[in-house]
Amino acid sequence: MTPNLPDVTITGIGSVSPYGPLAGLISHSKLEPSVIATWKTAGLRRAFLVKPFRPAEVVPGLKTRRLDRLSAWALVASALAIKDAGIDLSQVDRSRVAVVFATSFGCVELTEGFYQSAAANGWSGTDPSTFPETLANSAASHVALFHHLRGPNVTVGSKSFAGESALIQAASLLRHGQADLAIVLAGDTLTRTVYEWYEAAALLSPACYNSEPLLEDSGFVPSEGVTALVLEPEGRRELRSEVSSDARSYAHFRSGRWAAGGQPVEVIRQLLGGCIPSLTICAGNGAPCATSSTTALASEIAGHDGTIVPAQAVAAGLVDTGALLHLILALSAHPSGGQALLLGTSLGASGESGFAALLVELP
Amino acid sequence: MIDIRKTVVVTGVGVVSPYGIGLDRLQAGMLSGKCCLAPTNDLYPGFEGTTAQVRELPLPAKGFSSRHSRTDQLAVVAAQDAVAVFDGASVAFRESGVVMASTVAGLTEIDPGIAHDPAAWYRHGGLARAATYPVARVADAVGEHLGVRGPRCAVSVACASGAMAIALAANLLLDEVAPMIFAGGSDALCPFTLSGFNSLQALDPNRCRPFDQNRKGLNLGEGSAVLVLETLDRAAARNANVLAVLRGWAMTNDAFHPTAPQEQGNGLADCMRLGMEMAEAGPDEIGYVNAHGTGTPLNDIAETHAYETAFRERSRPIPVSSTKSYFGHCLGAAGALEAAITISAIRCGALFPTLRLTDPIESPGVDWLRGEVRRQPLPLAISVSAGFGGSNAALIFGSIRS
Repeated sequence: MTPNLPDVTITGIGSVSPYGPLAGLISHSKLEPSVIATWKTAGLRRAFLVKPFRPAEVVPGLKTRRLDRLSAWALVASALAIKDAGIDLSQVDRSRVAVVFATSFGCVELTEGFYQSAAANGWSGTDPSTFPETLANSAASHVALFHHLRGPNVTVGSKSFAGESALIQAASLLRHGQADLAIVLAGDTLTRTVYEWYEAAALLSPACYNSEPLLEDSGFVPSEGVTALVLEPEGRRELRSEVSSDARSYAHFRSGRWAAGGQPVEVIRQLLGGCIPSLTICAGNGAPCATSSTTALASEIAGHDGTIVPAQAVAAGLVDTGALLHLILALSAHPSGGQALLLGTSLGASGESGFAALLVELP
Repeated sequence: MIDIRKTVVVTGVGVVSPYGIGLDRLQAGMLSGKCCLAPTNDLYPGFEGTTAQVRELPLPAKGFSSRHSRTDQLAVVAAQDAVAVFDGASVAFRESGVVMASTVAGLTEIDPGIAHDPAAWYRHGGLARAATYPVARVADAVGEHLGVRGPRCAVSVACASGAMAIALAANLLLDEVAPMIFAGGSDALCPFTLSGFNSLQALDPNRCRPFDQNRKGLNLGEGSAVLVLETLDRAAARNANVLAVLRGWAMTNDAFHPTAPQEQGNGLADCMRLGMEMAEAGPDEIGYVNAHGTGTPLNDIAETHAYETAFRERSRPIPVSSTKSYFGHCLGAAGALEAAITISAIRCGALFPTLRLTDPIESPGVDWLRGEVRRQPLPLAISVSAGFGGSNAALIFGSIRS
């Protein structure tokens, strides 16, 4: 069964990542993990971290003093993406703009803060100002509030494929006429409880424990950040391009599919309609990049005819929400046209391999 | 002319509520006027209030509880109930997708001890418990237990989550990402949310009184509901029992305040209008509104304004009730449970009254349902949800005859 998603175009990109807050593509340079200093660690611990910055210096007028980092980054990334798309929101019917946010842990910093207040004061003495902000949809609702976006506002999670799921669902909202424009975001913050959970579950790369250059042999290096894309129906972008040179197109999103099991090769070949993608982008979702099962699936799909882009550690460290960053990094490094496939895999509890595949066409 | 490939129908409803397991128990309990809200003081030291709890929840399988949260358990039992008469070996079943909503998810399994020293907390049994924290786990629990391998997704949009999960699942179904989707919501009572709402002074210590002028806040409940959604052509092909048609759905955001609804209920009114447009139904055709109706001062007045606006063109007042007066606010599960109640109302031709509504908010455009159950044919009804963060969702269900 091949989904027939709308012809949707990615017209804007914004990100807050270990590369910093950026509009548009990311000039590609390999990053090394940073040493964690935010909390006390038992020896050297490293991760891909977003360096502290002042949001108001990136987005003038932005007030984030009362927000957690996830919400602040979502505001910055969305504002950068909208600016990058050349969209003047004052000219847009904001009741027709959707926000779809993919996150695994939501506002986990404030959830930790709420538990700390319960630990200190008992459940009867928790902080009322923190509680509403612990909800997973807080970041998406702040994006709506800041930009006055009154369309569908959705926060989703999906094991290994939250980013892919958000992109597919945002395209679905456009296709069904439930929005004219969609801001898709994906990301998470890295906190002590998250990092130490990965550590206790023995999921981390040896590179987390020494200062040697990153070797992608086993485990992964946790990462953090929020990536935002502006999606528009192609017709709308074309109309804008008649009056504005800013109405660019990074890629057309053709169709997508994700599943918890089944026959990925069969399904993806059906999705491709007999074509071989010129670019297959591996989206490592918390898996070791070099040995990922995604790479093996990509080889089976693409054969020897296309370029296979291995998963990037900095995006793979976002685990469930790294797809959009994988896509941006690949578009940044491989600007050539043709069909591109963003491919991810995961291993489910039943032993079946889940997969996600997004088909995009590069202009 | 109906396009049966683009008509979304409900062919199964599974429920876990304080009335027990199954839609029949829920319906019978509500028809009898039984209220499940009861004084509670055992959820955390110092808490005294009113909640509705699910008692004697059967575990779906041996060892299940060791790697699943109570929220997962509620979801899995509801999903099992939804598919009780399904052929689990069919290809369509196996390729089904899961879209489940939750706000609490695995917070039920985590205690404040994690705040002191997470690593130590994990070493002492917390590792598996914390693994249930992401909301995605609820969808995985349902998918794994049913043995389905289509797409899985979790939705977390505060108290609008359950309704949004159904709306998003309907979109995905029309995009043909799966032949059938199990969609709903699940949330369990836990100290985290009780403490949070208590700190906001949003809880009524006694039984809540939605839409009453003397309302004092909400009561929390717990439960889960899962709907089986498929397109009418597929349902007809397998001769399925169609329980209801999902005629329309819509989602909007107030973009007004992090917690408070827009005072005039404009976002919610827009949401209902969009839902009716999709359903190609005018305000006069809607026979009943299952309201969000939490019982908080701000929500209920904004919601009342929304009904006045959305049904302004109607020739007579719109019948409205809040079924949270029976078993409280089940947060991420609320929209799904209320969808199940709305389907039940359509099927049995019964409009459930709001309990304890003695002095309703004055609103000439609203026919507040109170007192006895009102019996009447109900071709079309709407279930609305709203949540922190300004999100709104509306689902319009109709009988198969409509």
